Amino acid sequence: MKEPSPATHALPKGQLLHPEYAALASPHDELAPHHLAARGPGHALRPHWQQLMAILEEVGGGELERRRQEAWQVLRENGVTYNVYNEQDSKRRLWEIDPVPLVISADEWSRTERGLVQRAELLNLVLQDLYGPRQLLREGALPAELIYAHPGFLRPCQGLQPNSTHPLIQYAVDLARGPDDRMWVLSDRTQAPSGPGYALETRIAMSQVLPDTFKRCYVQRLSGFFRTLRDTLAAQAPHLTDDPRIVVLTPGPLNETYFEQAYLAAYLGYSLVQGDDLTVRDGQLWMKSLEGLQRVDVVLRRVDDTYCDPLELRGDSQLGVPGLLEAARRGTVLVANPLGSGVLENPGLLPFLPGLCRLLLGEDLQLPSAATWWCGQPDECRYVLDHLSDLVIKPVHRSGLSVFGPELSRPQRDVWRARIQKSPALYVGQELVEFSTTPALIDGTLQPRRSVTRHFLVTSEGGYRVMPGGLTRVAPGSNTLSITNQAGSVNKDTWVLAEHSQPHRSLLSDGARTIRALDRSGVLPSRAGENLFWVGRYAERAEFTVRMLRTVLNKHNEIEEYGDDNDRRCLTSLIDALRAVTHADANSIPATQGAEPPQTDLASLIADPARSGSLSQVLSALTHAAFNVRDLWSSDTWRVIDDLEALQEGLQGLSVFGGHRLRQRLDDLVTSLIALSGQTTESMTHEHGWTLLDTGRRLERALGLCDLLRTAVVPVHEELLDHLVLEAVLSSQESLMIHRWRYRTAPHKLTALDLLLLDESNPRGLVYQLKSIDQHLTTLPDAKNNRLEPVQRIALGAYTRVRLTESTVLVEPKAGRLEALESLLLATHVDLQQFSAALAERYFSHVQAPRQLGTTSLGIDP
Amino acid sequence: MNYYIRHHTLYRYAEPVSFCHNLAHLRPLSDSRQSCRKFRLLIQPDPRSLRHFEDYFGNHATYFSIEQPHTELEVTVESEVEMDVYGDQLDFTANLSWEAAGEQVQRSRNQAMILAREYCYPSKLVGILPELRRYAEPSFTKGRPFSEAAQDLTHRIYSEFDFDPNVTDVSTPIEDVLRHRHGVCQDFAHLAIGCVRAMGLPAAYISGYLETAPPPGKPKLLGADASHAWFAVYQPELGWMQYDPTNDRIPNNQYIRVARGRDFDDVSPLKGVIFGGGEEHHVEVSVDVLNTKPTDLPRPTQAAATDHTKERKPA
Repeated sequence: MKEPSPATHALPKGQLLHPEYAALASPHDELAPHHLAARGPGHALRPHWQQLMAILEEVGGGELERRRQEAWQVLRENGVTYNVYNEQDSKRRLWEIDPVPLVISADEWSRTERGLVQRAELLNLVLQDLYGPRQLLREGALPAELIYAHPGFLRPCQGLQPNSTHPLIQYAVDLARGPDDRMWVLSDRTQAPSGPGYALETRIAMSQVLPDTFKRCYVQRLSGFFRTLRDTLAAQAPHLTDDPRIVVLTPGPLNETYFEQAYLAAYLGYSLVQGDDLTVRDGQLWMKSLEGLQRVDVVLRRVDDTYCDPLELRGDSQLGVPGLLEAARRGTVLVANPLGSGVLENPGLLPFLPGLCRLLLGEDLQLPSAATWWCGQPDECRYVLDHLSDLVIKPVHRSGLSVFGPELSRPQRDVWRARIQKSPALYVGQELVEFSTTPALIDGTLQPRRSVTRHFLVTSEGGYRVMPGGLTRVAPGSNTLSITNQAGSVNKDTWVLAEHSQPHRSLLSDGARTIRALDRSGVLPSRAGENLFWVGRYAERAEFTVRMLRTVLNKHNEIEEYGDDNDRRCLTSLIDALRAVTHADANSIPATQGAEPPQTDLASLIADPARSGSLSQVLSALTHAAFNVRDLWSSDTWRVIDDLEALQEGLQGLSVFGGHRLRQRLDDLVTSLIALSGQTTESMTHEHGWTLLDTGRRLERALGLCDLLRTAVVPVHEELLDHLVLEAVLSSQESLMIHRWRYRTAPHKLTALDLLLLDESNPRGLVYQLKSIDQHLTTLPDAKNNRLEPVQRIALGAYTRVRLTESTVLVEPKAGRLEALESLLLATHVDLQQFSAALAERYFSHVQAPRQLGTTSLGIDP
Repeated sequence: MNYYIRHHTLYRYAEPVSFCHNLAHLRPLSDSRQSCRKFRLLIQPDPRSLRHFEDYFGNHATYFSIEQPHTELEVTVESEVEMDVYGDQLDFTANLSWEAAGEQVQRSRNQAMILAREYCYPSKLVGILPELRRYAEPSFTKGRPFSEAAQDLTHRIYSEFDFDPNVTDVSTPIEDVLRHRHGVCQDFAHLAIGCVRAMGLPAAYISGYLETAPPPGKPKLLGADASHAWFAVYQPELGWMQYDPTNDRIPNNQYIRVARGRDFDDVSPLKGVIFGGGEEHHVEVSVDVLNTKPTDLPRPTQAAATDHTKERKPA
């Protein structure tokens, strides 16, 4: 029998832990701190990890990797992303997930929770003071320069919300375990903390990775936190109402956390709006909806405060709402967090917090922060300059980036030294703390990685509530110092254990109020309506283009096989039609010459993302418009949109006539586009949003038909060629079978036009589109039955003109053309374009951008 | 002594403005040295919403919105201000050197001085720049009393810069003013403030009115006065002391103060955000400052200069 190995760093033997785990881990590792390891293999784990570790060992590293892939797939399909700036065309980064949660014991949690609540109370008092009496400055408890010189101190926000005891409604803190085994504060988030939605999504994904484990481990649930958030916002709404209107104000789809904003809005049942969806009238905030202005009671903002009101804050902002500050000052709307709260996101405050805590709360500060020196004080500044290479240098305002002293070269250090000396009050030096590690799944084994956890708080009637969980981010490599999503960290779930099993409560269980709130959220912001309209248009434009492309490719293949001259001329005709439908000539590419198809031009019509009207461009416009209303799609619908995005990327580099890959890709596209159409028709309620989407679809199909018939059918050819062209046209419109079945003859202009123009039962025909549009309009808000709106008049005119047309008149040739047909198609085309403009004017007319009016006075000689 | 002030602003837009939000700083201050007895604000078209409040700096601010389509916005202010009879700023020729003054402001635990530090830091329109310090240094010689240094700076700006209303607008940075040596009262006030701050001392922007005398033997033209701007520095012994670099004068009781802030951006008389209005707008401003009560305050006049498409600033 062998002696057991020496006790130092011994860990229980299992397949999952990396053999060097203990050696690689920091002394206060979350799982296996060194002081426990010394006691021998049976005791090496912190007790609250033991159950989870047993389960993970049972599952095994290989299986965990497989499940991670599954979870990742779920996140991908749900579109969980984090937008990364400064990468080419600002691609969305998928949410990377680590399947091993961070586990926090009930005991430690109650300490952390108390510390977090105390800190929230403290910062709340500081916020109230700074925008109120400023006693802390007057009495010298805070250096004046720390506040006065901070770009986040917004003087116009003085006196906002004087009646609220807790203006700091939401609050988030980044915590990490320090070298003394205690939890340390790294930074405070007081403006518009991001992350709670990601925490929730991560939890949902984890339920696929480790089903049932939550129950067995007594993991606390997150939904209570969101319920509290909702109750708080409703309770603080300025108007006495059961169902206040609450909106999430987003900077838009390019923002790094746009996904989360859309997700939270959908989860909480709030409308997701951008600045131009809102307007201040009569000192009150309103949302522009299809049904007119709707009063807004609460704004949950994710726009930085300086950008929220171009009248009194940053004048160049297009993200805000002019007059919002005045509305907030009047107390007619609650803005959470209040404008100006960014002044607390100032690491220069950290060294003063212990003193402020004793002064304001009469207590010692429970959670320590990393030692911080504010350079606005001469001694501290000298210290920072003398120790530049050992410290983290942070600007006091988040507009700048932090740098790690040890990573700076000598010339870089000199640059930073000069910068600090120029405006010392704008920088702090912070001790570089070795934070502890936590197990992360790397290539099938658990390895230690540094981690930071963001915790979330919200005020409530009974004081601040902390989300029992959070968002833990682990460094991608074993030596990485900074942990941010911008830098590519990996996220993991955070489990706070309870003493008892946890009852399940959904967010939607609290009865009548919820239902009413959801009812009201059904009011569609105008911008959302406009985006849906364009989703419909782009989806149909893409489908029409793909169908035309397929028709062209088919004809080309036939030529390869039979080589008939008529087929060649037919192909030319079809290519001209494709070019008309995609407006290729409007985009300055030379017209086709001869029968030989210009492959390069076709390739560009398919895959050139920069060419207006190309398939690739239309598809990306489609996904862009869809992303703009991310909160309105079901997960199944989003999966289809996600597929379309992937298919669009797959178009690059396919050769036009080289085999079946392009053909296959186009078939896949048609399938996905039909899926999108079916999905929206079957799973969206047929309210205004869907109506606009379908109106867009019908409008685009009608325009496409006009272009197609005008190019392909108006010119008169000899009979055989006419047959070929008509056959291809009917086939592209999925109407060839029905034509054969109905007329039992080869296609004639008379029969083909009857089917494609005048048959009210053919969903691919022109009159069908016009009729649908006319009907849709009667269901849109304020449509009156006894008097037509301009937009209705245009639609009805177009519908009636086609309806009253006799097909026999259309096929009478004159000078080699079907002139009657041509003029009908042109007139309809003009009507449709006017209709689109009138619809935008009537329902989306919010696009006027605000402009600044400078102040003036007269300059006269003194 | 009483002043009667009429300040008239007219915007004309190329196309209708559907609605607008505005913030005005137009009511003269009331404090120990002057008192605003009457204040009448006339806005055409009628504002849908209007509210007066005290801003962060203690000035009187007015928010208003017009929510009907309009192609003209007319804002007329009529105010009556009673000035302290002991109008001249008492010249105590304070002996405190500027260095000692700076030291006191930065170190003192006295509340007034802590609050004055607000005016030591860069603000939106006035940065702290090395070239400003270089310009200021000849005035701030070693050990010189702060008041003397400020007065010298005022005098130098007056004599070294040309008054020219046609070369700068609200967006001209003070670096350009310094380089080209010309501008209007707002530029000179900003320049002086930047110089004082570059020396580590507090300086504020003051907007207001100054009665102008007609040329000898000629009647005073209606609308010939202007809004004016000057600056003040905080002297530990005396409080805020004012200087007018545009006229090389120490403001007396002919200077009617409307608002004080860190720079023009804090106290602009009228600013707004409009929706619509087309590409260009024209603006006319006229100011009358009278020291006798008029039987009837003058109506809008033809004497007012017109056709300024560029945004203009106080003289």
